[in-house]
Amino acid sequence: MHDTMQATINGTPVTFQENDTILEAARRGGHFIPTLCELSDIDHAPGTCRVCLVEIIRPGSESPVMVTACNTPMEPGMAVRTRTSRVREMQRLQVELILADHDQDCATCTRHGDCELQDVAQFVGLRQSRYTRPDWTRSRPRDETSPAIIRDMGKCIRCLRCVEVCRREQGVDALVFTGTSLQADIGMRNNLSQGASDCVACGQCILVCPTGALAERDETETVIDFLDDPEVITVFQFAPALRVGFGEEFGLAPGVNVEGQIITALRTLGADVVLDTNFAADLVIMEEGYELLGRLKEGRRPTFTSCCPAWVNFAEKLYPDILPFVSSTRSPQQCFGALAKTYLPEKMGLDPKRIRVVSIMPCTAKKDEAQRTMFRQDGARDVDVVLTTREFARLLKREGINLAALEPSTFDNPYMAEYTGAGAIFGTTGGVMEAAVRTMYSVVNGRELERIEVEALRGFESVRTATIDLGGDIGEVRLAMCHGLKGVRAIVEDVLAGRADFDFIEVMACPGGCVDGGGHLRSKKHYQPYARKRRDAIYEIDRQMPRRQSHENPQVQRLYKDFLGQPLSHLSEELLHTHYIRRRTEIKQTINDIWRDITMSTLVHSEFDAAEPAASRKRKE
Amino acid sequence: MASVIYGVWDGKIYDNRDRDIFEVAPLPELAGFDFFNEGNVIKAFLGDRGFFVFEPGVDLLDALVRYAAKAAEESCGKCTPCRMGTSLVRDKLAMLHRERFDTGLLAETEMLARHVRQTSLCGLGQSCMTPLLSALDHFRDMLAPAPAPARRDDGGRDHDRRGDDRQAANGQYAMHYVTAPCIEACPAKVNVPRYIDYIKDGKPSHSLGVILQKYPMAATCGRVCVRFCEQACRRNMVDEAVGIKVLKRYVADLEQDISRQWFSPDMVCTRQPDHLRVAVVGAGPAGLSCAYHLLLKGYPVEVFEARDEPGGMAASGIPSYRLPKEVLRGEAEIIGRLGGRIHYNARLGRDYTLDDLMGRGFKAVFLGLGCDKGRLLGVDGEDPDLSGLQTGIDFLLKVHECLQGNGCMTLGGVVVVVGGGNVAMDCARSALRMGADEVHVVYRRDKTDMPADIEEIEAAREEGVVFHFLTNPGRILSEDGRITGVELVSMLQGEPDANGRRSVVARPDSARVLRCNEVIAAIGQQVDEDSISQGDGVRFGRRGFLDADGTTLSTARPGVFAGGDCYSGPSTLIKAMANGLKAARSIDDFLHYGRVRFFPRSRMRRIIGDFRALSNESIETPVENKYRVRVRELDPEVRKRLFDEVEKPISTEEAYEEASRCLRCYRIYSVITESPVPDSAL
Repeated sequence: MHDTMQATINGTPVTFQENDTILEAARRGGHFIPTLCELSDIDHAPGTCRVCLVEIIRPGSESPVMVTACNTPMEPGMAVRTRTSRVREMQRLQVELILADHDQDCATCTRHGDCELQDVAQFVGLRQSRYTRPDWTRSRPRDETSPAIIRDMGKCIRCLRCVEVCRREQGVDALVFTGTSLQADIGMRNNLSQGASDCVACGQCILVCPTGALAERDETETVIDFLDDPEVITVFQFAPALRVGFGEEFGLAPGVNVEGQIITALRTLGADVVLDTNFAADLVIMEEGYELLGRLKEGRRPTFTSCCPAWVNFAEKLYPDILPFVSSTRSPQQCFGALAKTYLPEKMGLDPKRIRVVSIMPCTAKKDEAQRTMFRQDGARDVDVVLTTREFARLLKREGINLAALEPSTFDNPYMAEYTGAGAIFGTTGGVMEAAVRTMYSVVNGRELERIEVEALRGFESVRTATIDLGGDIGEVRLAMCHGLKGVRAIVEDVLAGRADFDFIEVMACPGGCVDGGGHLRSKKHYQPYARKRRDAIYEIDRQMPRRQSHENPQVQRLYKDFLGQPLSHLSEELLHTHYIRRRTEIKQTINDIWRDITMSTLVHSEFDAAEPAASRKRKE
Repeated sequence: MASVIYGVWDGKIYDNRDRDIFEVAPLPELAGFDFFNEGNVIKAFLGDRGFFVFEPGVDLLDALVRYAAKAAEESCGKCTPCRMGTSLVRDKLAMLHRERFDTGLLAETEMLARHVRQTSLCGLGQSCMTPLLSALDHFRDMLAPAPAPARRDDGGRDHDRRGDDRQAANGQYAMHYVTAPCIEACPAKVNVPRYIDYIKDGKPSHSLGVILQKYPMAATCGRVCVRFCEQACRRNMVDEAVGIKVLKRYVADLEQDISRQWFSPDMVCTRQPDHLRVAVVGAGPAGLSCAYHLLLKGYPVEVFEARDEPGGMAASGIPSYRLPKEVLRGEAEIIGRLGGRIHYNARLGRDYTLDDLMGRGFKAVFLGLGCDKGRLLGVDGEDPDLSGLQTGIDFLLKVHECLQGNGCMTLGGVVVVVGGGNVAMDCARSALRMGADEVHVVYRRDKTDMPADIEEIEAAREEGVVFHFLTNPGRILSEDGRITGVELVSMLQGEPDANGRRSVVARPDSARVLRCNEVIAAIGQQVDEDSISQGDGVRFGRRGFLDADGTTLSTARPGVFAGGDCYSGPSTLIKAMANGLKAARSIDDFLHYGRVRFFPRSRMRRIIGDFRALSNESIETPVENKYRVRVRELDPEVRKRLFDEVEKPISTEEAYEEASRCLRCYRIYSVITESPVPDSAL
């Protein structure tokens, strides 16, 4: 079965096994073949771009045949040539054809400098673009209906990576391939707009898009407006995962904690108040932990976490019946926002109306979340602008700031900047659960866990389960941690079907959690290559913290003492809790609607064919 | 037979340009290429493997522009060379044709065309440049502009985009036909690659929509179809055929709930005049399909069914372990949703006659009576009154009634089923489920000759059915009116006949006795003769089935059409449904024109069918092996006593994976004709 076979690539012998592709064998042998649509990290080789052309001569044949390396299997005795002049010429023509209906306004493109199409054009030595037809790209849609994600089909090269990630990695399956011929591109299921569709705004599609066809909505301009306006007091927060996934943009090693440099960078930008979402993470543990203990005592189970906005979208849009099981506690970002316009100005003696809250998040769905109507006070949003990690990098570059050259500094705010190790680990799958367990154990038993690092909750499997003894009147609790919506879907269906036995379920929509969020830095030709490094860095931060349990955070304690009273107080409920809305779209259509939309049709009833109004029928009547 | 002036097919060059046309011998394999429709000369033919020019003065470049326009329109747009290349080649050819003929532009066009052919992902791109490239390789001089009078601009871009045009340019008209081996193999011509594409694209509703263009019973077909398409699938040359049937079941099941909402009387756009009422006799696959298409065309339709439920043979003849009854019932409901009425317990010949229907104001009638009378063996000792003797059809009907709770039967001991078709397999497997201790199948030819699906034979074997091949019953043994056994005779094979089937004769002195309690004769069926009487004006044909025109399905009586098993003899679900569709089209024409018009697409199919243009080719480049999805089944030991559905549905992930195995073997065929091809229903 797994016999090793032999062939040659560029005259060099290579060994391979049955069904190995030419591309796999070539990569192993160190032969570079330019590729575009293929993405091996997600096992994706749809064969649509047709760039990875090579010549093969099969045994018994003399004439070379042109094939694509990504999806053609090796054969014993086959001679592969990857760089004959014919191969190079045809690879070049292929890229030239891709550019023919690609919007080439590269200087203004969000993916400028990080574009895989630009790279491949260089790899194949392209020096001209003879066939570019702007009229072919102009007619393709640009969907700006989502607060988070812009889909610009003039830049789509039909690699289908986004469809694959949405379908196979996330299991949301909101994206479809639509249209034919020059109108072929990616659309949303049921012809809906991005905003109205089942898209949960997780942004994983952006991480794999090779061009600027999928991007976050850029809001750096608004932030610079805020910074420039002397009337505005800017309050910045940044997410737990940001500090471990940002340095590489400025040439630092992946997985290095750059918290200090980020603080300096924000101050250099002119930020008035620099605070930390980690503080709000500790606060969430207090609220959610008490909420959960209360629900456990009432026998209501399970409870799902609520800090991930893509998960909330998923529940509201795809499984509204699960909403009663979702914790009412707002996410750290929104808890922060609500306090930044109430508690913070009260303490600092500022006019709340002048405050603008800017979050920096490794997340596209946070943009969506900040716009929810329930997160407003007197018509003003609690969080005014959300920048993804990528926009933050862009902002620093626009302002000429090189993070790598900055000296680190520390937080200096006495109200909303301090955090514990528990808040820090919110950024990884299992982190919220671990933080909650640490505090709940302490609340129930009046003493802390013997081993504060709960290894049982850590790991990479998309769904993990554990049983922890919380002691006291609570006893053993059944816990589940899931990341990546595909696994989440399975667990939600189990819960709805009564097949699941859990008390507390942590959900993070992105595979890996926020450290691999859809708003984080992307890596060309790779999918989540730094998952482990970022996660290790986050656990290292926890290890270095003097306090590692949320309830020990002195600023959180002060907040309760001076402002909120206690967890789940009336004011807490008002500022730190929320409710959810059923948002499932029911599609009403007739077979005619479907038939009208079918292309390349062989419909026998011409009267249903919009493209061909029943000529004969009409003439008769 | 047409004479080729010049052309290339499969690399073979035909060049008779320096001879007088009357000296050129017509090619026998091009029988049928003279005229497209009556008096309309076929001037040229273009296809996936070359082109032929039959008339002097053909503007080859014009023909290629039209062909390229169709290719650009048909490109699915996924792979770069086909999406961009077909459009660029189309535009460049049009420029060469209309504006300026320059050799540099021609060379660039050629370079692009070669690129499309060599690097495209699927069969469409790989084949659609062949006519152009074979012309460039061998008849380049024929592409230069004729010094003729100025060309008329034939509406430029519009025609470029539409492709399917019947506009004239230089007295040339074109008709295009896009198909694939699986489509041509399907009696109903379902656009198989398209519905597989839509699964892959994430549009299951559209996928089901493609199937529903041809018949209403998608979930039924997705379970019991005999799959001519899979036999024709070119993936067979790589590993195994694409699971076309299982994908059909997948989309039909997935969309089951919502697709019910897709049909309503309001959705029918065109209403026919109230007096143009149509009666459909028989609510089997043929009748339901015919009624469905007539209702979609806006006719008032009433269906008359002899039994008390819809489905015909699909209901009573196919056991529920293969086709759960609720699946069939759900799909028959579409007729009601579209505003059609089904009258049950109304049997033609018993409760009403054809004249009655005409008298009640029906202007056209479709006869889909089925073939529901079984045939006995015709051997010694066979008495229809014997207890324990019955036909396969009667047996399956009794099983069906029993499962419906209408009077049960008991079965035990040894059951012998005679016959080798799917009905015989259904009887054998049902007999096990009804409690038989042993089931034997007796078939007079060899296993490889059995008309039953191999999957059915294997499933029966797994469940413990004993097969006796090259064996025939010689005599029925009975005592006191009860069967006690059957005498079996071994058969000897003779030489294969013209059809490749070997005759069989009894081997002398080979008789032996198999003790049994039941004998089921599943050797064939016939039309109930009582349904049609002499005065009806409908004739029986030679083999005891209804006589109708093969092209139009019209019977000898004007306005009366027939299809399905009563016309073809016991056949497949898909053929019956295809007949229903064809009859609906004929009835529509009959009611509006008093005759059935010429159907260009049918004509095109015959041309390429006769020419074997789609016959087997090889696959040139290595293709990754991806094995066909395994359909999970109930364990044979469990299922052999149950009527629960044996085959389990596949998952969404499996469906995506299976859909990705399709090679999309689309091919485009064009005829260039002298006058316009009549514009009738396609």
